[in-house]
Amino acid sequence: MNRFWCLFFVASAVLAVVFFYIGPACGWWFPGVAASPLGQQIDDLFYLILAITGVTFIGVHAVLGYILWKFSGKEGKRSDFQHGSHTLEVVWSIVPAGVLLFIALYQMDVWAAFRMKSRFDQEALANPIAEVTARQFEWRIRYPAPGKVLQDTPQPDDLYTVNDLHAPAGKPVVIKLRSEDVLHSFFLPHLRVKQDAVPGLVIPVWFEANEPKAYDLVCAELCGWGHYKMRGQLTAQPQADFDAYMKKLKETQFDDGFKEAADE
Amino acid sequence: MRFSSLSIICLGGMSLALAGCGQPPEPVFAPSAKATVLVPAAQRLVSESLVENFGTPNKLVAWQQFPINYGAAEPTASDAGRHDEGWRLREGRKLYMVHCLHCHGVAGDGAGPTSRFLNPRPRDYRQGVFKFKSTAGGMKPSTADLHRTLVEGIPGTYMPSFVLLGQEQIGLLADYVKWLSIRGEFEEKLAGGMGKAGATSEELRKSYKDKRESDKSISYEAVENEILDDIRKELPETLTERAQDLTDDWLAGENPENATFPTAKRVRPDAASIARGRELFLSKDVKCSDCHGPAGRGDGPMTEQFIKITDSDRSYDTPGFRDFWGQPIVPRNLTRGVYRFGRRPIDLYRKVKNGIHGTPMPAISNRVTEEQIWDVVNFVMSLPFGGKESASPGEADGEGGEAKVAEAAGS
Ligand code: HEC
Ligand code: HEC
Ligand SMILES: [Cu+2]
Repeated sequence: MNRFWCLFFVASAVLAVVFFYIGPACGWWFPGVAASPLGQQIDDLFYLILAITGVTFIGVHAVLGYILWKFSGKEGKRSDFQHGSHTLEVVWSIVPAGVLLFIALYQMDVWAAFRMKSRFDQEALANPIAEVTARQFEWRIRYPAPGKVLQDTPQPDDLYTVNDLHAPAGKPVVIKLRSEDVLHSFFLPHLRVKQDAVPGLVIPVWFEANEPKAYDLVCAELCGWGHYKMRGQLTAQPQADFDAYMKKLKETQFDDGFKEAADE
Repeated sequence: MRFSSLSIICLGGMSLALAGCGQPPEPVFAPSAKATVLVPAAQRLVSESLVENFGTPNKLVAWQQFPINYGAAEPTASDAGRHDEGWRLREGRKLYMVHCLHCHGVAGDGAGPTSRFLNPRPRDYRQGVFKFKSTAGGMKPSTADLHRTLVEGIPGTYMPSFVLLGQEQIGLLADYVKWLSIRGEFEEKLAGGMGKAGATSEELRKSYKDKRESDKSISYEAVENEILDDIRKELPETLTERAQDLTDDWLAGENPENATFPTAKRVRPDAASIARGRELFLSKDVKCSDCHGPAGRGDGPMTEQFIKITDSDRSYDTPGFRDFWGQPIVPRNLTRGVYRFGRRPIDLYRKVKNGIHGTPMPAISNRVTEEQIWDVVNFVMSLPFGGKESASPGEADGEGGEAKVAEAAGS
């Protein structure tokens, strides 16, 4: 029994190594490979933190194991009493603070790329593809008419859809996010994009899908009983397909149902 | 992926331990209010014919008479047993249980557990009354109409869009809704008929009293049996008749000839057309503004009136319109630009021309020409934009205006 706790802490260090390896290696950690350039950078940040915490965790456990091994209680020997060490406390406060500061500074660039309007692709920012309005429990989408610029208020020729957001792939695009009722969160897990939708605010969000395919769009803010159902989809398409889609949307939405006599 | 199966087993075991192994209660088709007022023997007759012809939630019966695609057996399908006779109905039920039940209820009575919190209430399909359809008046919707409702959802209400379920699943759901509606209407009509024949407890007591006046020796049971015998005798015929009526109704809804289409092209939504539409909107003849108000805000004078309760000579004790289901309803505020029935010109045309079944919104007077209807539609479509020229396709005015970006982000 003497050595039990020693072995326990050493074993957890070994287990941690195994899990830190298989988590990322088997793709358990993230929902798939990042599907956008910024997503890859965000993943790299996560891996950096994993490395830092991993090394720390394993180091601490190795030391702990060693100390438990070396100094575990012996029959008849009493323990010493120590009131603590000022130097040690300063060291273990300053070192983590330094690490945190490093992480904070190191990630600023990615953060800025995601959040600062001055760092957005300016062309995309000037031409948002759509306004996405979250409401309990769906995503209502308003596109500007082809060739026009999205306005803050609805326009007569705007085009409307629900839940299925289309966007051109392979280039940065901007949407304007708003909420009709409560807090929601626009989450594209594969693109590593997550942004709260806040009632009263119009928030530009940019993303870039590497490949033309369908990605999940989910709500990441508990917004009511139907939160779990608030699923949408981002359909990234080649530009030409996207243009064709918009054209079709326009035709359907302005359908007056009149059939030429020739049809009959 | 050895790890993942292991962890699934662990998690599964844990959640079982936490949740316990209790079975959920068996779902039942709750009886309609028209049936519950009947005497017990008549109630039994109704529920027996329902179980025989429609089954129970866990054992559905596909009554072949109705124009529903129940799904024929597909012996080639490899997924054993899934594609037996009637599989579409069963699959539809499963999907309905997952996606719709909590609002629309097991029997489609609009009384699911979340329905209490919603306004407007989820649709009670059992009267066969639908608002969102291409057909006129009280006609049934076509399958395509139900399909469209499920794809688009109903903006401005809690009815969500199910577009991501895909065509096939939406098709299954639309057919299941149709089946529930037929089942419900069948029940309401059958029970309603028995009620009219005097089989409610109240009516029975009355006729017993009447009969006692001429014949002191007559027993209550004898009166009851007499009425029930009549009902029983006619039951087979009643059943076929009801089923035939419903079949005809739904077939008519399905008939493409009954879908409303304009016979004239949409009038160009220019200022002149909008002005004409406005005049009609306010006119004595068309009277939209009585309900929707002169500015289209849904606050017309008629919304202040006390409305009579159907089948009674009393009025509701609060002013304002009620819909077919007795729920308060307000004429739409047309300046908001939220269109429950769709924002295509054809959708608005249909609503203006046919009215909205199940609501006080009437069909437009038939003295109005097609072009005039389009004028009204153009006016309605311009209301969210202050009555300015509304949009029509293919009109590029080149200039897009400037993009303004809110100050929300980047801080
Ligand atoms: C969150 C609650 C909710 C859920 C879930 C829901 N509905 Fe609805 N549904 C409504 C409400 C509310 C209305 C009525 C809107 C109105 O009257 O304007 C409605 C209306 C409808 C209508 C229109 C009837 C008409 O008048 O034309 C159909 C059809 C329908 N629902 C089918 C479904 C189906 C099928 C599902 C499941 C796939 C479903 N609904 C899920 C709330 C819901
Ligand atoms: C008796 C009152 C009444 C009159 C008259 C009336 N309406 Fe309505 N209207 C209503 C009500 C009530 C609703 C809401 C129905 C609902 O919520 O399902 C409505 C809804 C509408 C809608 C909403 C459609 C949508 O997609 O949301 C339009 C458009 C409309 N009316 C236009 C008109 C026009 C145009 C006229 C005149 C030709 C008119 N109404 C006359 C009561 C009326
Ligand atoms: Cu949400």
